[in-house]
Amino acid sequence: MTDVRRLCRVVCGRWAWVVVALVVAVAAPLGHHAPRAGAQSRPTDSLDRMDRQALVAAARAEGSVVVYSFTSRIAAVERAFEAAYPGIDMVGFDISSTEQIARIRAEQQAGIFRVDVAYISDAPVVFGELVRRGLLEPYVPPDFANRIPAQYQRPLLANRISTKVLMYNEDANPTGPPVHNLWELTTPRWRGKVITVDPLVRGDYLDLMTEIVLRSDEMERAYRLLFGRPLVLGPGIKTAGEQWIRDLYANGLIVLKSTDAVNAAIGARGQVAPPVGFSTYSDRRDNARRGWALQIANAVVPSPGITFPALLGLVRRAPHPAAARLAITFMLGDDSPTGGPGYEPFYVPGDYATRRDIVPHPDAVPFAQLRAWRIDPVRSFERRQQVADFILRLQ
Amino acid sequence: MALLSAGVGAILCLLVLAPLVRLVAVTLTPDGLRAWQEVAASELSRNLLWRPIVNTLAIGLAVGAGATLLGSALAWLVVLTDVPGRRLIGVLASVPFILPSFAVALAWEAAFRNGRVGGHVGLLQNLGLAVPDWIAWGIVPVVATLIVHYYSLTFALVAAALAAVNADLLEAGAMTGASQARLMGGITLPLVLPAVVAAALLGFAEGVSNFAAPAILGLPVRFHTLSTRLFGAISIGQVERGYVLSVILIAVAGALLLVGTRLGGRRSFAVITGKGSRYARVRLGRWRWPACGAALAICGLTAVAPGVTLLASSFLHQPGAFAGGWTTHYWLGPSSPEIAQGQPGILRNPQVLHAAGTTLGLGAAVAVAATVLGVAVGYCLARSRVRWLTGLIAQLSYLPILLPGIALGAAFIAQFARPLGPLPPLYGTFAILVVAGAAYTLPFASQAGRAAVAQVSTDLEEASLMAGATLPRRFVAIVAPLVARGMLAAAALVFVKIVRDLSLMLLLMTPTTPLLSVVAFRYASEGFVQFANAITTVVVAISVGVTWLARRLQRSTQPWMDHD
Repeated sequence: MTDVRRLCRVVCGRWAWVVVALVVAVAAPLGHHAPRAGAQSRPTDSLDRMDRQALVAAARAEGSVVVYSFTSRIAAVERAFEAAYPGIDMVGFDISSTEQIARIRAEQQAGIFRVDVAYISDAPVVFGELVRRGLLEPYVPPDFANRIPAQYQRPLLANRISTKVLMYNEDANPTGPPVHNLWELTTPRWRGKVITVDPLVRGDYLDLMTEIVLRSDEMERAYRLLFGRPLVLGPGIKTAGEQWIRDLYANGLIVLKSTDAVNAAIGARGQVAPPVGFSTYSDRRDNARRGWALQIANAVVPSPGITFPALLGLVRRAPHPAAARLAITFMLGDDSPTGGPGYEPFYVPGDYATRRDIVPHPDAVPFAQLRAWRIDPVRSFERRQQVADFILRLQ
Repeated sequence: MALLSAGVGAILCLLVLAPLVRLVAVTLTPDGLRAWQEVAASELSRNLLWRPIVNTLAIGLAVGAGATLLGSALAWLVVLTDVPGRRLIGVLASVPFILPSFAVALAWEAAFRNGRVGGHVGLLQNLGLAVPDWIAWGIVPVVATLIVHYYSLTFALVAAALAAVNADLLEAGAMTGASQARLMGGITLPLVLPAVVAAALLGFAEGVSNFAAPAILGLPVRFHTLSTRLFGAISIGQVERGYVLSVILIAVAGALLLVGTRLGGRRSFAVITGKGSRYARVRLGRWRWPACGAALAICGLTAVAPGVTLLASSFLHQPGAFAGGWTTHYWLGPSSPEIAQGQPGILRNPQVLHAAGTTLGLGAAVAVAATVLGVAVGYCLARSRVRWLTGLIAQLSYLPILLPGIALGAAFIAQFARPLGPLPPLYGTFAILVVAGAAYTLPFASQAGRAAVAQVSTDLEEASLMAGATLPRRFVAIVAPLVARGMLAAAALVFVKIVRDLSLMLLLMTPTTPLLSVVAFRYASEGFVQFANAITTVVVAISVGVTWLARRLQRSTQPWMDHD
């Protein structure tokens, strides 16, 4: 081989990569991998209709099921599932909803099919993107179809309703919540004493902020109620909700990475002037074990926060389709009044079962009296990027 | 030979160039261009770009300066003075760089955390000391923990340079009547200046690109750097913004390193004599013991204290509080609904054990891949006569040193999340971790490969060539055995670099390929402090143990020790 030919080869080889990379980059921008429905639909259809016994047999043959879960309670579900179905290994991963979305997107795009079930919140993005693009598919176990209201079956099944609401330390405030109006949190008394998980890191908290912006009329009324004068919006601010968020940040809002960290900060017993903050109502279940005194400030005006569904979706082209369906069925619970071992991790005060036949938890505010706003995933989805960018400007 | 060079060149292109090209290319798509506009010229820019960039540069400068001062001072003490306990100081001062930077940051948090962000507080606050916010959070602790991490690197570089200073020059100076200060300023300093500048630049580059310290000690008070912003953007799915920030981070780190190398690296001195005897050590007189005490205090606080703090806090019932009592639950305990959401102790947790297996496997795989590639690079550079090709290989094998780990991770996702030519998509596989790890450690491995191959005389190969040996045979029978010892030590250090890495793997890891460092980071950000500290202690133990083994293999790494 002459030197010239060798040189050509090497140079071509080198530039080929550059060219390939450029072509790939320009021709196929990220995303938009059309789901391949046809070939897959027939066997899964029959799985969808399969009764429990046949499903268990098929799941046994598959041997394992991989679950992404937005709650660390998946560890308990895993234990119960493996006790109920020996021989089927549940592999649970505790991954925040936001990260699940990024991962499922990337994995599906890369053609990697390793995960079976996504237990996920963040309904606006899940409905608006993952379900719409076919990356997550619904499954409603046949024997539960008439025990769960239709609104919690489509576009994805929800097994419970969760919350992001204003929580306080009841040990330090024995007479009740120290806050009565969300606008109080923007006053000097609460300077540096309000905590939340970063809305730019966890979608549920962005949904909370988005809902506050969407409910600007109520926020405006709440402002007048507290200060006795109409709200004057600051420069560049368009809604009362945005004004509240801006004032909250200006008042030294503390932004943490995880709900657990927020809970510990608000709830730890023995604090003299503990902060308040936004967290999950049902984390009150950990009060005794972890030395916390978390309680919901349900009466706060205009609302303590939001409720949103905890969704169970089949990941497209799940490698263990039968075991995936069995896992979803299991997480809905059994026929006992409290749902039995599969639902036990979620039968706690502050979580509300979607199944009509599970009795409400005695220690929680009844769902009808919970003053939190129910998010509208479609409206939230339209608005949340704008709210996210607004918050990015503040922090 | 030419084929080998071309092959190595092609692999380097695939490993280093292609991900970078792809990263830039993605930012030039319509979505990417919009992201450029949002990042650089919109209402978001101040918080997304400008303030993080100022913080990033401030950290880089402070770490570069601080690590250089501290490391050089200790090196001077150990190499050139009669301070007692030189050997111990020398050993301790090389430990912090072995510790993962997130270990130092977690240890800082375990000690200094205060009530600013609520929740549990650290050891000092629990002992009744009020820790001010500026010590607990933000730029001061970030810089301090990074200096702790990197002064050790400066120490090694400067100590090696000082040990190589020819004593004859100093004696000649002394005979002409120069004072100690003048000897220092006129002879020693200029001779070791290139090493000091190189150390300062490395400290700067590492400070700019580090992720763990600002993530652990800065984010709770909204202190952002480019690396935390880019991680945030990618982890919430704003991939293009993340890529744009990656390109900017690479440009900032790379440009300053290149400029610095130009400014500082020019001067070199031809020392005509052979290596002479060691000049008499500087007598510290009555400062001997105070200097010894100060040096040992610094080394003890930076080399021993972080590990001990982490280990101790992993046994505490309540994070940071001795009063809460001690427990082995976080190491050995079975899953109990009473503690930590039913998470069992790390030695019983299948996911942690899985992560431990993956981590060790990854370290070994990258060590093998990087050393093989390093030897190949070294061989090409030493033997190939195609100049433009050796130039390309030299440049590409050095390039990753300019790339912050987290940005390199982003580039690998950009490149390998989809099929590329005949390659299947690698995202989510073990392979992508190996490939990325090999690229990341390439500068180090090829440096070692170059040095090792340079010691193999061409005479041997020429003799075997005359005897009719082919290239593969020459390589296996002559080169490989002769470079094995040097490369084994390099492989061990690559292994450690990967085992303790967080920034590169953070974005690349998926739950099916868990790694100890990332699992520890997760636990830390979820508030499961003891688990995080326990896992980090394991990583520290592995890193220190393997490095110790490597040092045994490569006794020449501390030449200044031989003279004591």
